[in-house]
Amino acid sequence: MNRTTVRVVVGVLVAIAVLYAPYYFEPVWNRELSRAAYFAIAAMGLNLLTGFNGQISIGHGAFFGVGAFTSAILVDTHGWSFEATIPAAAVLAAVVGVLVGIPALRVKGLHLALVTLGLAVLFPRVGQKYIDGAGGVALVRPKRREFDSLLSFLADDQWQYLETVLIAALLFLLAWNLVRSRVGRAMIAVRDQEVAASTVGINVARVKVGTFALSAAYAGIAGALSVMIDRAADATNPLLAFRNSIEFLVAVVIGGTATITGPAVGALILVLLRLHTDGLIEGKEVLSPAIFGAALITMIYVLPEGIVGGLGKLFGRLFPARAAVPATAGAAGPDPSTTTTTPTEEEP
Amino acid sequence: MDLFIRYILIGIGNGAVSAALALALVLIYRTTGLLNLAQGEMALFSAYLSWWFTTHGVPIGLAIAFSILLSMIGGAVIERVLIRPVTAPGKSHLNVLIVMLGMFLAINAISQLLFSTDAEPMPKPWPSVSSPGDPVGRSARLLDIGNTSISWAVGALALTLIGLCLFLYLLLQKTKLGLALRAVASNPASARMVGINTSAMLMVGWALAAGIGALAGSMVAADRGSVSPGLMTVVLVYAFAAAALGGFDSPVGAVVGGMIVAIAESLTIGYVDALSTIELVVPFALILLVLLVRPTGLFGRRVVERV
Amino acid sequence: MNRSRWRGPLALFAVAMLLMSSCSSRGDDSSDDGGDGGDGGNGDVESSIDIDDCETDPTAEIEGDTIKLVSSYPQSELVGAFAEIARGWAAYFDKVNEEGGVEIAGKSYQIEFEDKDDVYNPQQTASNIEELVGADGSNAFAVFSVVGTANNINVRDFLGELCVPNLFAATGSVAWGNPDYPWLLGSTLAPYTLEAQAFADYLKENQPEAKVAMLVQNDEFGATYEQGFRQAIEGTDIEVVAVEEYPSGADEVSTQVASLAASDADAFFNGATLLACPDALTSKQDEGWEPTTWVSATCISKTLMILAGAAGDGALSFTNLKDPLNPAYADDPAMVAFKETVEQYRTDFKGRALDLENAIILYGYVQAEIFVQALEAAEAPTRLAVMESVHNIDGFTSDLAIDGVSFTTSGGDDPFLGESLRLVQYDAAAGHFSEIGELQDWEGETLSLTPEDLVNA
Repeated sequence: MNRTTVRVVVGVLVAIAVLYAPYYFEPVWNRELSRAAYFAIAAMGLNLLTGFNGQISIGHGAFFGVGAFTSAILVDTHGWSFEATIPAAAVLAAVVGVLVGIPALRVKGLHLALVTLGLAVLFPRVGQKYIDGAGGVALVRPKRREFDSLLSFLADDQWQYLETVLIAALLFLLAWNLVRSRVGRAMIAVRDQEVAASTVGINVARVKVGTFALSAAYAGIAGALSVMIDRAADATNPLLAFRNSIEFLVAVVIGGTATITGPAVGALILVLLRLHTDGLIEGKEVLSPAIFGAALITMIYVLPEGIVGGLGKLFGRLFPARAAVPATAGAAGPDPSTTTTTPTEEEP
Repeated sequence: MDLFIRYILIGIGNGAVSAALALALVLIYRTTGLLNLAQGEMALFSAYLSWWFTTHGVPIGLAIAFSILLSMIGGAVIERVLIRPVTAPGKSHLNVLIVMLGMFLAINAISQLLFSTDAEPMPKPWPSVSSPGDPVGRSARLLDIGNTSISWAVGALALTLIGLCLFLYLLLQKTKLGLALRAVASNPASARMVGINTSAMLMVGWALAAGIGALAGSMVAADRGSVSPGLMTVVLVYAFAAAALGGFDSPVGAVVGGMIVAIAESLTIGYVDALSTIELVVPFALILLVLLVRPTGLFGRRVVERV
Repeated sequence: MNRSRWRGPLALFAVAMLLMSSCSSRGDDSSDDGGDGGDGGNGDVESSIDIDDCETDPTAEIEGDTIKLVSSYPQSELVGAFAEIARGWAAYFDKVNEEGGVEIAGKSYQIEFEDKDDVYNPQQTASNIEELVGADGSNAFAVFSVVGTANNINVRDFLGELCVPNLFAATGSVAWGNPDYPWLLGSTLAPYTLEAQAFADYLKENQPEAKVAMLVQNDEFGATYEQGFRQAIEGTDIEVVAVEEYPSGADEVSTQVASLAASDADAFFNGATLLACPDALTSKQDEGWEPTTWVSATCISKTLMILAGAAGDGALSFTNLKDPLNPAYADDPAMVAFKETVEQYRTDFKGRALDLENAIILYGYVQAEIFVQALEAAEAPTRLAVMESVHNIDGFTSDLAIDGVSFTTSGGDDPFLGESLRLVQYDAAAGHFSEIGELQDWEGETLSLTPEDLVNA
């Protein structure tokens, strides 16, 4: 059994499981899985920016929110059909992404983290100021009928799940292709050695701002999808965008930074973890966030490369690649069995 | 004119609050190169601890001192047990972030479990005026300026900040310990080679930061009049902003940054009605502008990148 | 090296377990109450609620002898303080159950309840309610005491379509008067408009040329106060000279108050809630400003007013329930009984310490009392009949309500419960609010006193 066969088999099994899920599960579960799916999209966006391009952002909750409100308002007030709002959400979020990406050329590291944090903190306030939604609060809630299933043999929740998952699969495929292409290599080069990258002719500014825009677009699409799944775009909670930003980052790291399947796995784990730690100890609900926090810490200890990273290592041990250079004493050159975060060694 | 002075004074008062926490952030950054997301919640725990001592009859000054001591031990333990395993060289910075996030959630929840889920009145370690029905009293007047006055709260906070800055400067620049701390932050491998106990230094750095955080948290609670579960969450954002503006490795920068952010916000609330409730835009825009011109902050050290 | 070989696979195994334990398949749910067909409701209740579009049958009778209630409210983090409301009603339901349960149309039912934590996040509330009620409404009879305006708004569509009652929503929003949502009921918390009206009335009598400064939150809560007040002072000599907003969640408002103090106003409507409320009062004192002050009814709480201390002395507000802090009620038999009941049934609650002087426990208790009365007045054990009953509450009282207070609703004309209230004034030395003046009765008037677009939002 060689590596490729195993990968294909696993891939097919996963695909079957994912497609069969909506028939098997109750609507409540389909909603949670759909939530994990749009979360994964946002996490993938963040992964492109932070994992593959090295720019940190704790503001993706704001891009998510921009996408969500764009979609919700277009559907609710202007009568657009939901699917048409998705590209609109992506574009608007991307525009904001460019606006942030340009100053990000100069502002780096922790300082960039702060600026993006400012975005996440300001977004709900701006929303509360300018959005007059249902019940007078900053909540836009399109009618449920706007999201009716387009296929008559599927229930609403099943249809929404499939739509979300399909869009997620498409976006992940796009990311995979991107990362393996010249542009992707440029992104990684900029991450690893920015000065060197510019000397070989990579337009660093264009790559960085472009990645920011793309990453924001992903988050925007996720936000739009969230309007379909949660049926609301909400800015009433002053800390929500901030919390989302952090959770996207958690999903990226737990899943495996700079991997393609990492964000999906991370998002799923996050959603499930939250579900399980809420009210876990009867009579001590106050502690739920602590249990969640403890679970996060434990996961990072045990799997420092994230789940997919850890899986990759396991995989590498079970099915060693052919033509591995034996690490004999005196062998020149770097040891090829050390894991590096380049895309060629990851699961497709 | 009086109103303007009033706004400035309020800004200084709020700025002092976030600057105090920012100093703890700066210390950890200087000594370990990390930004501690959980610093606010650690400070919250310490503030609740101070409060807890006062409910057992300990006078507030002593209570804060005990809390500082215990927090320092706690900080060292946290570094050794939680942070060290994920900061080995070669491990991703992002992993530490996740651990800190876990700490953030856990420490907040544990504080609520151990101490109180409510807002509890916090006595003031500076002169205050008591009145019937008031368990903690209002800060007494320190100084009169024109038609308005500066309260002891602002004075005490300002004095504490100056004291802390001095302490940090002397420690880091003028003592062997400080030298060792900086060496470990700059190049752990070399530091070890000249015989510095890197492990101990990292723990010392966190211990000191936790102590400063304890002082900051207790003072913030005293200034606000109460310690509550949400006390430090917002302050952390402002502290982060202060440190970013001033430069993450400069204590003076943190203080100046904190003041600028708070005063900018205060003046915007007072004078710019159009930005009502989104006044925070102004300080953040300011920070962005400053960072565009000086990417490492007002007082930060320029980083030379070697190719 | 050997140990670390197993870490990875072990961890992955744990993750797989996590995944698998989360599974539950379609069609698995156990449905009990309010499910499939009974015949049409008993009796000839004039239905003012249109049930044609209901996705479930609201005239179906409860099966078995349990009424299942569900709720979603904050139980952890900073907003967990609201969980104390649930302590009150949970204790009362426990007591009722032990005494035989609720009797509807001749049959006794036990009250069963289940709730989830939503950390005050409306999305979480929607998620919780959808799970607790079930996509087809068959997992619960009704929803009870969900906390927060946005939180209730976010579930009103879902519950409205299913025709599942959402009762005693714990907020004073006037949106519960929206006729598009007949399956919703507010609680005894007075609608925010009435606070504005009460202050306006007080000023008309005592300071007819008052200049008023207002501090309000930047959302519908604040908008209701501001617009309600402006409407209330129309045609009088009172004028609003300054309004400052603060962002929701802020715990510090000294700059806004400094700005208001500079406006020369001699009356102050402090519409701030949670920690911003005592901060506004202390800031007012710091400014040396001494206007006639009104505080939001949401600020009538021991924890909050203690933080204000002397700065809160003389502040006005109103309430319709007895204050457990008030020594005048220390020996009141109803108050004593209430404290005993809570101690008996709910000393332990979600890991929170018990403080019987916390007024919101009493508030939760009273909601349960009124609800049980309404249940017992229902003509049949169906959702429709119960909803009709709560929309036609005719002068119910509670021993824990202030003397003379009664609760009445009447369909679409008067959907609000808490409309008779008594002014109270804070006595800082004594550390509690004391009742002043006569009982004010705005029964049935809230809708006319509130700008329409706030109600129909």
